Amino acid sequence: MTGSNPFQDPIRFQRRVRPCALVIFGANGDLTKRKLIPALYRLAFERRLPPGFSVIGNSRTAMPHETFREKMKEATRQFSEDTEFVDSIWDDFAQGLFYESGDLRDPACYAAIGHRLSEIERTRHSGGNVLFYLSTQPSHYTAVIDGLGGAGLHQGNGWRRVVVEKPFGHDLSSARELDDRIHQVFSEDEVYRIDHYLGKETVQNILAFRFGNGIFEPLWNRGYISNVQITAAESIGVEGRGAYYQEAGALRDMIQNHLLQIMATVAMEPPAVFESNAVRNERAKLLGSIRVLRPEEVAANAVAGQYGPAGVGGQQLAGFRQEEGVRPQANTDTYAAVTFFVDNWRWAGVPFYIRSGKRLAKRVTDIAIHFNDAPHSPFDAAGMDPGAFGSRPNLLILRVQPEEGISLRFLSKQPGSGMTLRPVSMDFKYGSSFGVRSPAAYETLLVDALTGDATLYTRQDMVEASWRAVTPILDAWTATKFDFPNYTAGSWGPAASEAMLNRRGHSWRTP
Amino acid sequence: MAAAPIRPDRILRELDELWVSLGKEQESSDGVLRACAMTLIVCTEESAGDVGETLGMLVRDHPARLIVLRLAAGDDPGLKARVLAQCWMPFGRRQQICCEQIEITMTAAGLEGVPPVIRGLTAPDLPVAIWFRSRTLLTSPEFEPVRKMANKLIVDSAGIADLKGQLDLIRGRCGGDTRVADLAWTRLTPWRESVAAIFDDPQRLARLDGLNKVRICYQGAHRPMATCYLPAWFRHALGRPVGIEFQYAGDSPRARLYRLALEGEGLDLSVTVEQNRRAEIHSGQLASHSVFHSLSDYELLREELMVLGHDPVFEAVLNLAPEFA
Repeated sequence: MTGSNPFQDPIRFQRRVRPCALVIFGANGDLTKRKLIPALYRLAFERRLPPGFSVIGNSRTAMPHETFREKMKEATRQFSEDTEFVDSIWDDFAQGLFYESGDLRDPACYAAIGHRLSEIERTRHSGGNVLFYLSTQPSHYTAVIDGLGGAGLHQGNGWRRVVVEKPFGHDLSSARELDDRIHQVFSEDEVYRIDHYLGKETVQNILAFRFGNGIFEPLWNRGYISNVQITAAESIGVEGRGAYYQEAGALRDMIQNHLLQIMATVAMEPPAVFESNAVRNERAKLLGSIRVLRPEEVAANAVAGQYGPAGVGGQQLAGFRQEEGVRPQANTDTYAAVTFFVDNWRWAGVPFYIRSGKRLAKRVTDIAIHFNDAPHSPFDAAGMDPGAFGSRPNLLILRVQPEEGISLRFLSKQPGSGMTLRPVSMDFKYGSSFGVRSPAAYETLLVDALTGDATLYTRQDMVEASWRAVTPILDAWTATKFDFPNYTAGSWGPAASEAMLNRRGHSWRTP
Repeated sequence: MAAAPIRPDRILRELDELWVSLGKEQESSDGVLRACAMTLIVCTEESAGDVGETLGMLVRDHPARLIVLRLAAGDDPGLKARVLAQCWMPFGRRQQICCEQIEITMTAAGLEGVPPVIRGLTAPDLPVAIWFRSRTLLTSPEFEPVRKMANKLIVDSAGIADLKGQLDLIRGRCGGDTRVADLAWTRLTPWRESVAAIFDDPQRLARLDGLNKVRICYQGAHRPMATCYLPAWFRHALGRPVGIEFQYAGDSPRARLYRLALEGEGLDLSVTVEQNRRAEIHSGQLASHSVFHSLSDYELLREELMVLGHDPVFEAVLNLAPEFA
C-alpha cells in the first residue's frame, strides 16, 4: 500500500512526527537543556515521536554518548515543568540520543556526524530525513552551514531542513549576508527561522480571533481603530546576559523580531487559505508596508531608555551599567518604544506603538486595540454626567502572557438614578475556557519543523523587511550619546516615551 | 442550600443568588469568574457525590453548566433540586473560576416531569452533552425528549457482556443532530494511535497490503467491546476484510484489551499493555515503551467533549461493529 496512513484519525490523534533524526549544534548550551530536550521528551511521552527517533548533539566539549544522555536526563527532570518523568520512556528516548563532539570549523566534525546519520538511517529507520538545529552562538551559523554543505549533509535520501535561531543578523546587511551563505547550501523552503513568539498559543489565537469570527474584521481598520499598542515588558533585568545584551538592546532583541511579527499578525490581510505560504505571504506584505522613518523623523518616533539602580520592594537593584559584564558607559537601550505606521489602505494614519523593556513594573505582553471614540455622545449633549470614564473609548486587549486571553472594554451605565457611565470588561481567559494544557512554544515549533509546516516560522523577506523598519532608528541611536540611565527599575519606562504618544493625543495604557 | 420544589425560573434565580454570594465571599481577591462553554447533563443512579470529583476536574477543561440528574429509589413523583458551584483557583491567580451545578433528584415515577425542567435549564446557544451512568435513563421512553436535546450522548460499554445488544442500543440512539460516543471506544485512542504511528514509516506502510491477520488478546470473563470496535476499525481503515482472531489471555477483574498483534508478510507488530498501564510497542526489531495513562472517567470525558461534531471514524466503526459482536 502506498500513499497516506489509513489509520490516521485527525480528530482524535495529535500531530505526530514521521521517522527522522535531529542534529543539534550547540547541544551543551542552555537552549538545548532548558527547552529542546524537555520539549522532545514531552513529545515522546505523548507518543508523538516515531519509534526510532534520534538526536545527535554536537558541541566542542568531548564526552561519551552516555554522559550526554545523563546530562540531558538531569536537564529534563529539572526543566520539564508539567510532564511526569517515566524512566522507561526516557530510556527508550535516550537510546536515540547520540553525541559527536567537534570544532564547527573542522570538516572532520561533519564527517563524524554524517557517519552517525548513516548508521541511524540504517538501524533506526530515519528514512534519511534530518533536521539540523543551529542552537550555537550566531557567530557560528555560517561555519555550520558551510560545514554541512562541504560534507554534503544538506542532501540525502530523505528531506533535509535547517532551523536557525534568532538573531538573523545584527542589521540588514549582516542578515542578507547570512541569508546568502545559507542559500548557498539550503533552499528557502528548507530553512526554518525560528521566532518562538509565533509558537505561542495566544499569538496563533490572534489569527483564529480575527479570521474565524465575522464581527471583528469589519472594524479592523483605520475607520474604527485609533491606535494599536503592543507591550512586551519584563520585570527582570539582564540576568547574567549583560555581555550579550549590551551589544543587542531592546530594539534588536525584541522589537525587530518578536514584536514586529506580532504586529504583522495583528495587522495583516486575511490569507485565502490557512497554509504556510499563504499566511507568510500576508505577514511579509504587512512588514513590507511598514513606513521606514527618515533620519529626521527618528527622534519624534522612537525613544530609547536604560534602567538605573533602584530600590524595589526592599531590595536594592543594580542599574544596567552596574550589571555583570556590562561596560560602565554602555549606551545600550534596555527600553525601546517606537511609533510605526503601515502604508496601506487599511491602516493609513493609524499609529502602532510598540514598547519593550527590562526592569519595568511587571512582566506582561499584550496588544491593545484602541477604538475611536463614539462620534457623538448623547449623554454629554443632554447635560448628563458621563462620569469620570465617560470619554473612554472601547478597548480590545489581546493578552499574550502571563494570563492569556482577550478582553473587551466598553461603557455601561452605573446602577443608580443618574446616567453615569463606567467602563466594564468582558473577559475571555484562555486557561479557564480551555483548561487543557497548552503546548510549550518549542514543542509546537519543533513538531512544525519536523513535519514540514513553516507557517509559524519567519521568512527571509520578512526578516529583511523588519530590519529595514528599524535600521534608521538603530543608525540614529548608534550615533547618539544618551544621557542614561533615564528610568528607574519598577517604572513603565522613560517619560519621553509617554510624551511620544501624547504628541498624537494618545497615552500608554497601563497593562 | 435546602432542597426546594422544582421550577426552572426558580432554579435560575437561585443560581443568580449563588453568584452574588460567591462574589461577596471573594471581595478581598479579584472576584469570581463564571465559565461556561456547554451544558453537561449527567444521568446517574448513585449519589451525586460519586461523580463530584470527576466533574470538579472536568469543568477545568470543559467549563459547563452541570446538571446532575439523580434517579433515586421510591415512587415520589416530585422532583427536588439544589444549586451549587464547582470552583477552583488556578495556580498563581487571585481569581476563582466557577461553574454552575444543578442537582435534580427524581424517582422513576417523576421522569415525565423532567424534560420540561431541563429544557428551561440548558445554557442558551451552547452545545448539550449527556453522560449516561444510568441504563434506566438511557432506555426510558419518558426520557426520550431529554436525549433529543443533546448534541452528544456519552455511554460506556465497559463491563457489558451482551455486545450485540449494546451495539443495537447505541446505534438506535444515533439520529438527527444527536451523536453517540462510547467511552469503550475512547479507551482505544492510545492503542489506535500506536498502530497508526507504526505505519508512519513509509517502509512499513508499503507492507500493509501483506497484513492478513489481527490477533486481539483480552483478559476478563467476557470479550470487551474493544473486540468489536478494533476489528471494525481495521476493516474501515484497510477497506477490505482481514482475518481476526480473538484470544483469551487470562483473568482480570474487568474485561480489558491486553494485546494487539498484526501479522502478515513482512509485518510483525504488537502493542501490549500490562495491568500497570505500561505499554510495550514492538515494530520489527524496534521496541519502545509508553504509558497508556490510567483512563479515568475524567480523562475519557475530557477527550469526548473535545469532539462535539462529526466523528467520521467512529461513525463508520459503529456501522461495522455488529459483524464482530
